[in-house]
Amino acid sequence: MGKKELKVAFLLALRSLQRGSRSSTILTVLIIGMCFTNMIFLPSMFSGIGQGITKQIVDYETSNVLVSPKTGEQYITDLGTTLDLINGMPGVQRASPQYSKGATFKYRQRVLGVSVRAISPSDEMEVSPVYTKMVAGSYLGEGDTGEIIIGKPLAGDATVRQEDEFEPSLGGVRVGDSITVEYGNGYTKDYRVKGIYYTGWSPVDSAAFVTWTDMEQVEGKTLDQADSITVKAKPGYSEQFIKNELLAYGVGENGKVQTMTDLLSKSIGKVLQSFAIINMVSLVVSVIITTVVLFIVITIKTLSSRKQIGILKAIGVDKEVIMHNYGFQVMILGVLGIILGIIITLLLAAYMFIHPIVTPEWSAYLYITPWDIVTNSVILFCAAVVAGYVPAYQVSREDIQSAMRA
Amino acid sequence: MIEINDLQRIYHMGTVEVRALDGITLTIEKGEFLGIMGASGSGKTTLLHMVGLLDLPTSGRITIDGLDVLRLTDYEKTMFRLYKLGYVFQDYALVPDLTVMENVALPAMLRKDRSEEQVKKDSFSILQKIGLYDRRDHLPRELSGGQQQRVSIARAMVNKPDILFADEPCANLDSENSKMVLDLFHEINEEMKQTIIMVSHEDWHKDYFHRIVRLRDGKIASDEKNLSAG
Ligand SMILES: Nc1ncnc2c1ncn2[C@@H]1O[C@H](COP(=O)(O)OP(=O)(O)O)[C@@H](O)[C@H]1O
Ligand SMILES: [Mg+2]
Repeated sequence: MGKKELKVAFLLALRSLQRGSRSSTILTVLIIGMCFTNMIFLPSMFSGIGQGITKQIVDYETSNVLVSPKTGEQYITDLGTTLDLINGMPGVQRASPQYSKGATFKYRQRVLGVSVRAISPSDEMEVSPVYTKMVAGSYLGEGDTGEIIIGKPLAGDATVRQEDEFEPSLGGVRVGDSITVEYGNGYTKDYRVKGIYYTGWSPVDSAAFVTWTDMEQVEGKTLDQADSITVKAKPGYSEQFIKNELLAYGVGENGKVQTMTDLLSKSIGKVLQSFAIINMVSLVVSVIITTVVLFIVITIKTLSSRKQIGILKAIGVDKEVIMHNYGFQVMILGVLGIILGIIITLLLAAYMFIHPIVTPEWSAYLYITPWDIVTNSVILFCAAVVAGYVPAYQVSREDIQSAMRA
Repeated sequence: MIEINDLQRIYHMGTVEVRALDGITLTIEKGEFLGIMGASGSGKTTLLHMVGLLDLPTSGRITIDGLDVLRLTDYEKTMFRLYKLGYVFQDYALVPDLTVMENVALPAMLRKDRSEEQVKKDSFSILQKIGLYDRRDHLPRELSGGQQQRVSIARAMVNKPDILFADEPCANLDSENSKMVLDLFHEINEEMKQTIIMVSHEDWHKDYFHRIVRLRDGKIASDEKNLSAG
């Protein structure tokens, strides 16, 4: 195939699309565009949800690296030494310990079991953004005693009747109110509500926080133990690096060290797996539809111009030129369809960015990377080319006699 | 010069054998305007297609200027048709999506020995010759049958072929347009010494031919010079 042959093939392709059936061209481009959108929409939606959940988990549960009690043990021991060790390591922004204790909350007529989490506010603020999520009052201060902050769903809404509540609440606690807290060890204490927060992450929103100092009063001793230590990495330091460092310094003696990714792969690994299956199905369906549509379009085109093809061959047009004519047509249709698909996808992404679907656990927006667009375009384009060249190859090989008499 | 030797073409339709060509031997000189005549089904198209390298005979030999053309490969035949032969078909057979100009230029564009300028120049001059230069940007469907057939002649002639084949080029035309087409062939033959082999079953066409070969049942029934032609 020389340059001249390709030029003629391209001219034939271009003219056929320009001057042939306009509606069939538009329809084909539209279908490819929709297939492209379909291919990229679900996966990027799932990917958006996945990103959202991951961010919530990092923010409110694990941070970058989580130290938890060793298997079979209830607490991380030697807390003071361990914290000093971790905080002194390069790459560590801050380590924040938590200590939880079951309690019964009493407010007016309501009684509710709640997990109270003890934190050191200055440490916790460097690791978790709860302090930025205050909807009323303020966050805990270092050394506060007798003060508590609670999640908005736990505080509840005085205008909603108890039977109508979506999840149990205290029925409308406001900042400044007093709550009686009866701990599992029998210790009972009245707390003033200092603040109410709302994170959208329900395990946190249904809990309450007090200071470490306060909890030491409750336990009646210095607390040198914790349920967990969340470790935030400085920008530029990988989780894995921090984990290795922690292990190298012997933190593994006192607790189990896991990166956020280690934990995620366990907890939402299954979810991600089913997402991956759905993504694969939508990709395969799109590719099949595109292939079939283009195959049919080109087959119809070739069959309805068999005689035409015979004539062209008779006057000295090589079969390769005939084949590439249809090849170019399918490439042009494919490229136009993909461009249309990219436009639709970006419009959808923009729309969902402005109007995200928000739920407590996640907000759905489309997470699309240029790489997604490139790979999907390439996959669809290849499918289109194959679908076009098969009938084009067949028809270009028909002998002149039978073609001309068609 | 074309030499056809004992050419046979047998079609098998189930168990029935159709001898479309049954031993044709014929020599055609350069510059000749040859008419192949005969009743429908007598084998005219088949003969034209054999000589025009569009189909293979069952047996026999064809040489064109000494070249045994039946020995050529598929690709070589395609190139031979592009460089040496021109065709005009009964139903014009123009590419409907190409303009008059693009249709005419198409075979020239594929030739390695033609520059873009040359293609343009050749196409313009042949369009002027057939009197459709002004319609060069029209699509075939915007032209009358006669005009379309003239365009198809221009397409066949743009590469200045050694042999021009025409299979009943006037069959779809009224007598006025038929005359115009025949006059064009006559002119091309006279001016450019163009070899033309034309199939027809209209008796009055014979006045244009230098030589008339009549077929009957795949055999040559008569072969006569027409001294009064022109
Ligand atoms: N592809 C074919 N298959 C079978 N028979 C054919 C085929 N082409 C032509 N014939 C037969 O060969 C004979 C000659 O046909 P053709 O050359 O087309 O005649 P003409 O052009 O003189 O009308 C006819 O009997 C026709 O039916
Ligand atoms: Mg015929």
